[in-house]
Amino acid sequence: MSLIRLLSAAALLVASALPLSAAAAAATEPAAQRGGTLTATWGGLEPQALFVPAGGGSSPFFTSTKILERLLRLEGDLRFTPLLADSVKAAPDFKSYTVKIRRGVKFHDGRALTADDVAWNALEYWKPVSIGVALKALRTVDTPDAQTAVFRLDAPIPEFAFKSVLATALVLPKHLYAGKDIITNPINNTPVGTGPFKYKTWVRGSHVEFVRNESYWRPELPYLDRLIIRWWRDPASRAAALEAGELDIATFNPVPVPEVARLVNGGRFVVDKRGYENSAWVSTIEFNQRRDIVNNRQVRQGILHAINRKFITDTVYFKQARPAVSPFSSVNRLFHDPNVPKYPFDPVKAGQLLDAAGYPVKDGSRFTVNLVSAGWFEENVKLGQVIKQALEDVKIKVHLQILDRPTSLKRIYGDYDYDIALSNNAASIEPVPSLTQFYTTDGIVKGAAFRNATGFSRPDVDSLVFKLSTEPQPAKRRQLATEFARIVSTEVPLVPLVEIEPYTVAHKKVRGHSTSANFMGEGWAEVWIAK
Amino acid sequence: MRRLLQALPLLLAVVVVNFGLIQAAPGSFLDVMTAEQQVTDPAIIERLRVAYGMDQSVSVQLWRYLQSVLQLDLGYSYRHNAPVAEVIGAHLPATLVLMLSAIGVAVLVGCTAGVVAAVKVGSWWDALISAAAVFFFAAPGFWLGIMLMVLFSVKLGWLPVGGMQTIGLDGGVWVQVLDLLRHMALPTLTLGLFYAALYARVTRASMLEVSRLDFVRAARARGLTPLRVVVAHMLRNALLPVVTLLALQLGTVLGGSVVVEAVFSWPGIGSVLFDSVTSRNYPVVLGVLLLSALVVTVANLLVDILYTRLDPRVRVR
Repeated sequence: MSLIRLLSAAALLVASALPLSAAAAAATEPAAQRGGTLTATWGGLEPQALFVPAGGGSSPFFTSTKILERLLRLEGDLRFTPLLADSVKAAPDFKSYTVKIRRGVKFHDGRALTADDVAWNALEYWKPVSIGVALKALRTVDTPDAQTAVFRLDAPIPEFAFKSVLATALVLPKHLYAGKDIITNPINNTPVGTGPFKYKTWVRGSHVEFVRNESYWRPELPYLDRLIIRWWRDPASRAAALEAGELDIATFNPVPVPEVARLVNGGRFVVDKRGYENSAWVSTIEFNQRRDIVNNRQVRQGILHAINRKFITDTVYFKQARPAVSPFSSVNRLFHDPNVPKYPFDPVKAGQLLDAAGYPVKDGSRFTVNLVSAGWFEENVKLGQVIKQALEDVKIKVHLQILDRPTSLKRIYGDYDYDIALSNNAASIEPVPSLTQFYTTDGIVKGAAFRNATGFSRPDVDSLVFKLSTEPQPAKRRQLATEFARIVSTEVPLVPLVEIEPYTVAHKKVRGHSTSANFMGEGWAEVWIAK
Repeated sequence: MRRLLQALPLLLAVVVVNFGLIQAAPGSFLDVMTAEQQVTDPAIIERLRVAYGMDQSVSVQLWRYLQSVLQLDLGYSYRHNAPVAEVIGAHLPATLVLMLSAIGVAVLVGCTAGVVAAVKVGSWWDALISAAAVFFFAAPGFWLGIMLMVLFSVKLGWLPVGGMQTIGLDGGVWVQVLDLLRHMALPTLTLGLFYAALYARVTRASMLEVSRLDFVRAARARGLTPLRVVVAHMLRNALLPVVTLLALQLGTVLGGSVVVEAVFSWPGIGSVLFDSVTSRNYPVVLGVLLLSALVVTVANLLVDILYTRLDPRVRVR
């Protein structure tokens, strides 16, 4: 018990030290001003639909979360703050959670939010469609009264994991979705929720316009009158739009990195790296365990020693990335532990390991592998070439294929047709299942993307992850996580190469941004414009 | 009318060939959608496969598509959660406005430049126009677009940065039209200057050829003013290659220009087509390509008729 208190105190100390500068800045921040129109964008394209119930990627994530809200919000310092839920209390055995729902919350069409909505969402939407595995143990949700929902579980779920679900799962209006197919419901293109902004119009190919929700449950919010999300297809155009005053804030690496310095030096813009903690993007390399040569651990470890991660972060990512150390990202303050086996750049050691694995240099090369790079980011194109050169430097012949999105998805996650693959993922702070599904046996689902495609399967890892998903004590969870990290960093079936640092570029007049652990996916009720 | 009948098997061939090409491309719509919707459950993957009609054999899928096209139903786009006709219709006006204006600019500017260059052949006018034609033809579209944007939108602030309309603009018809023209200026110029280079060179060559013919000397000898000679006599006869080019370009009207639409965020069909190909959304791809084939056919038909008006020696067989 005291160990937990000590660890929580330590975590709090670490957590509180970090936003010190932000707190100091907040102390001198002027009071928020009402009114104005904010034009925002992100570093990608228009979504296929404004709300995709099963996820749909970053673009609908950006648009739908201004209209739809969640029960809790995860802040940058890893506290959960109440949103649609006043409180969430765990039972002593962690097999049930009592959620008290805020009073006076109305959907945009005037209907009130009740526990009945929450129960319907949990059982008909979150568990089968949007959250899935993390709510495997959910059996039912009781609603003893209109403001209380009791989640009953078949197995214990740790508190951080459960609250992470409540901070991720969007609350839909039951009266508009019940009885219909959630995924193809036409209202997904004109969504209705409880959020600070209401849908107004969507001009396809151009922009979506949101207006202030006058009956938002926090009466003084949102500060903005209108929020417009526009999309530009070209990073240079976004930079031009910022400079011409047609764009106020842009999230998720919107402009080319050299432009950022130029914009900031001009004095009108700021760049902010906060607000992405719950979406830790990494660039990964994985080895297909079904193929000879790369299913040999010494070969994998040798290959990792041949890769210069600092070169990658400096050249491919223009220093907007860090070399990765542990499968748990360094922004993951709960589970990151740097004491895992590491693979520093050492071509001599790489050669020794490859020799010891039984692949000495014969006729100028050791063996040939095929390298598939998922070309959905421009950086992966360069990364593929960098890795190819790195392997050629230790006398491995590489057939490099840089493929477009559907082909990459099919080759890597559908057909398992690769020796080495370069891909990406964005893990949340709660590692089960977003991170662990790359390493467990039940993460092997042919055809399902961003899961275990290497075929790596070890009973000790599976049982560690199972324990991790049901262990309620945070300290014990951390121990289990560290053990998990140690094993997968030794076996290295899938390794994060670099941690990508996303950034937001905003005009100085925009305030109240880059808060919470996933700012792009929050309601932006507290964003305001200084006149 | 025989030409119209000849067009039908052509359109059928377009559908079949494009269908085959999309099916041949590795990766399917299911791969993209299951990745985006984060589907794990094999039962749901199977359900989606049936919903998208992918459980049938390829020939059955093709037959069902052809049947629906004959009933003027272009299918349903699961990605956009809307019928294909609606998806295309939402972007079609933007594309038509841009492409037709660009072609208009190209023809006017290009032909005028070509005529001037031909009339003043050998002078510095000619050298300037020829150099400009080479420059605008060689310059990459996205570079030209971005440079124009940096100059006019960022540095001078005269024109907007991309998009088709100012959001939330109130005002009557004329205000809206002016706003559209302001947004259209740069993308039209970017596309138009490229095409204009083509027209300039073709017009110049054609005019030079015509100027050598006897009837021109005769017209000058009769004492007609140089302007009348050029416009009424030479130009009409020099227009044939230009009209040929125009026919080819009218065919591209529906495809739009992905590059210019990307740079200026112009909400046109080019981007929809590109997105649909990268997500293997074949109903939309086929819909756009089918309409394109239709437009090409009609455009060629119209141009053939125009030929006979321009040059009675050419007869429609």
